[in-house]
Amino acid sequence: MSVITPDKKIDERGKICPYPDVDTMTALKKMNKGEVLEVIVDYPMSIERIPRSAKKWGHKVLTSEPMEGTDHRFLIEVQGLK
Amino acid sequence: MNPAAWTGLALGIVFGFALQRGRFCMNSAFRDIIVLKEYTLLKTVGLAILVQMVGFAIMTLTGIVTLNPKPLFWGANIVGGLIFGVGMVLAGGCASGVTYRVGEGMVGAMVAVAGFGLAGLMSAMGVLNPIVKYLQDTTKVVVGESASPTVFNLLGISYTGAVLIIVIITAVVWVIARGKGDDEEAVTGTLSEKIFKRGWGWATTGIVIGLIGIAAYPLSAAAGRNYPLGITGGWINIWQTLIVPEKVFSWEGLEVLGIIIGAAIAALIAGEFALRAPAPKVILQTFLGGFLMAFGAVASSGCNIGHVLSGVPMLSIGSILGSVSIILGAWIAAYFMFVRPMNAADN
Repeated sequence: MSVITPDKKIDERGKICPYPDVDTMTALKKMNKGEVLEVIVDYPMSIERIPRSAKKWGHKVLTSEPMEGTDHRFLIEVQGLK
Repeated sequence: MNPAAWTGLALGIVFGFALQRGRFCMNSAFRDIIVLKEYTLLKTVGLAILVQMVGFAIMTLTGIVTLNPKPLFWGANIVGGLIFGVGMVLAGGCASGVTYRVGEGMVGAMVAVAGFGLAGLMSAMGVLNPIVKYLQDTTKVVVGESASPTVFNLLGISYTGAVLIIVIITAVVWVIARGKGDDEEAVTGTLSEKIFKRGWGWATTGIVIGLIGIAAYPLSAAAGRNYPLGITGGWINIWQTLIVPEKVFSWEGLEVLGIIIGAAIAALIAGEFALRAPAPKVILQTFLGGFLMAFGAVASSGCNIGHVLSGVPMLSIGSILGSVSIILGAWIAAYFMFVRPMNAADN
């Protein structure tokens, strides 16, 4: 598996809904098509909803993996229409 | 202390477990209609209301409980509901949401319930009480001698009849609209994994919460409080008990304590428990949010649980008006806090 280098990183640990979701969507909107966003989040509901929202807005979730403790890491490729 | 009040603790633990597993958050349910165009949690809330309606109707018919719809004081319902809605968005959770998140180890939620308890006491018996009384007394409306206005007594039909009509209409709308909505992905894993490790699906959560609400009614009534689930009165009771020596825990107070314990158990089993603190600015915001929520809830005589989850199934006009106002308040706050900044990113 090739290692993907994200173009932008956001750390949403400690934030509760909807900040992780809203920050992710706002970051994705500001980026260009084909760029990759890394999101680190520890809020359980956002871990479930970020991939769902990203797909709904037309973006592609490349990886979704649990990290140490309650942290979770997403890599999302911007594909949605701006 | 009334021994019948202890069922509140047991029921609260089950409720807290379900709230945590189901991620049952009315703040998200209402806010995300306009912020993320997400309707999953809204469907959960609707289903829980419907399940309770059927349960309450059966229990009323069989004489297990006496229906006790909340009064209508339109000015207090509207003003209180709007303030509650704004507070809920600032606090990052509704009354039940911040309560169960205390059990998840969320420091922000702990600050929010502190603000909630303080404003609850101030509004129910302290310096803010005259405002609450004024709003309620000047806009109170009754049907006949003293009955609270409800959908069924205004239409001149029975509660059971009204419930039957609503259930049939919902079933028809559901059949017509089926397949149009977005389906959630099926939860995978063994049964125990599904119950303890994964978040529950929307339908499971709605039915379970509805059943808990049905069970709550006769248990709470046996302890002398003729109403199903609640939050606001519980927090006020907890703070009173801590401050005033002769005060004891009520059914609702123990229910609230149970929610925290149940949510903590659920979060620990799922590996989702951790002490998490937000930035100082957010802490201040959540305190203010909790404070506004409690004032709104006391003024309107109900929070998202007392009005939306428990009062709407009884078809109380006061609860319906309170609920609509809560949703509007949440939308106003969410528009300025989230929708506008998100749209600004387009340019």
